[in-house]
Amino acid sequence: MSEISILVDNVSLSFPKKKSILNIIKRRETSDFLALEEITFTVNQGEVLGIIGRNGCGKSTLLRVIAGIFSPDHGQCKSSGKISLLAGLGTGFTGHLTGRQNALLYGSILGHDEKIMTSLMPEIISFSELENFIDEPLRTYSAGMKARLGLAVASALNPEILLIDEVLGVGDPVFKEKSKKKILEMVAGAGTVVLVSHSFGLMTSICDRVIHMGEGKIMFDGDPKEAIASYYESEEKRK
Amino acid sequence: MGGGEAVQLKEVGERSSSILSPVSSVSVLFYHQFLIKNLIRKDIKGRYSNSFLGYIWTVLEPALLSTVYYFLFIMIADDPDPLYPVWVIIGVIIWSCFGKVLQSTVTSLTRNASTIHLVYFPRIIFTYASVGSTIWITLMSSVVFIPLLIAYDIGISWQLLLVPVAIFLAAFNAVGLGLLLAPTNCINRDVEHLVRFIVRAGFFLSPVMWTWDMALKRGWASDVVIWNPMVFPITLARDGFLGKVTEFPVDGILISIGWGVAMWVIGSMVFNKFEHSAVKYL
Repeated sequence: MSEISILVDNVSLSFPKKKSILNIIKRRETSDFLALEEITFTVNQGEVLGIIGRNGCGKSTLLRVIAGIFSPDHGQCKSSGKISLLAGLGTGFTGHLTGRQNALLYGSILGHDEKIMTSLMPEIISFSELENFIDEPLRTYSAGMKARLGLAVASALNPEILLIDEVLGVGDPVFKEKSKKKILEMVAGAGTVVLVSHSFGLMTSICDRVIHMGEGKIMFDGDPKEAIASYYESEEKRK
Repeated sequence: MGGGEAVQLKEVGERSSSILSPVSSVSVLFYHQFLIKNLIRKDIKGRYSNSFLGYIWTVLEPALLSTVYYFLFIMIADDPDPLYPVWVIIGVIIWSCFGKVLQSTVTSLTRNASTIHLVYFPRIIFTYASVGSTIWITLMSSVVFIPLLIAYDIGISWQLLLVPVAIFLAAFNAVGLGLLLAPTNCINRDVEHLVRFIVRAGFFLSPVMWTWDMALKRGWASDVVIWNPMVFPITLARDGFLGKVTEFPVDGILISIGWGVAMWVIGSMVFNKFEHSAVKYL
């Protein structure tokens, strides 16, 4: 008997198409774009759930609803603990601050307090391999260096519930391997994981369960291999 | 799943919109102080990065502006008060504090769209961080008062402390309106342009180039301008500079503070209620 960690109950979310001030007061318009339609599922404690589907099917929006970024128009979303969304590594990075200051800023954006961030700094610096550059302004960094710093800060998190949105594969091949290893470590360490990815190989190897989404709805929920089969089947139908 | 109730499930994305919104926003500030500190640092460093003079611009800008207005004024009305340049410089500093706070709070959601899409924390934090950095920069620019005090041979008095009080009040008078308008600016950027116009027009309608004493001499004018909540902070700073507690009428003080408090309460409530639907437009 396992405990529920994330509960998504009949969640619908639409994005407004028309831009009018009045829309903010009205709940929904018929012309709105329906991004999520009556989504219901639960994730148990310790479960690794994957979500697949073609671009624009609502995967990322669903993760953002679970993370609290978008609030659903209908239904509700509940969780049992601290949630972290790993997406767009290096959010809020600015060129004129040093690497260290950016790491502190990014860490605080992700919800760390000062004590934790100062104690994590050595680990962040060594993981990002930026020992000689950490006090240089970020504008002098290469794209790969920025990505490394972003992942180093993000992976220092220790959330109860981890949401991952396509962050695998940054930097050079060696670092790519290292980052993949790190993320797998995080997945193993976190209580509950929801993972959005297009790499089906990874999904079948680490997910306990996979949801296939299409046009804002759940098409299939269950065994990873069967979910991937359902995905290919619906792709076949489109042709 | 019978055992599912053992762990307490909480709704994600806490929100409250009540008369207590301003109070809860203050507790949010306290809880997220490290984040706010970092956001303010980013803002301040960003404003003067890649500039040789850097922070000196905080002083230079109001000083140069005042020179221009001074010449303009002696052209229009000869024989000005010898302290007139000082009145203008104080007016410019306090008014730009109000204007910058208003503009940065109105755009606080739109400017941070990329961060908002990737992580959730109460978005009112962005608003208060930009208020913090504007207050800090305004305090820095008040350094210009030191040479002025020496040049005009005015002694240092405890009443000078009324200058930072006036700066806080100016910022406070802008916060509520900014919070009120920030969600609407996500939907329609016209709000941003309208606010820029309000700040420009308010410059002339507030005692930046003129003083409360000048309005008093016109009789009826003082009855009208007393309803402008920015007359009190600017007059307070000017009197504090001279080393006196202001003689500004009590009803004017109440109008100014009352506006600030009322707008802050309404603004916080509106912001908390609509931030969730507003971010969908970003």
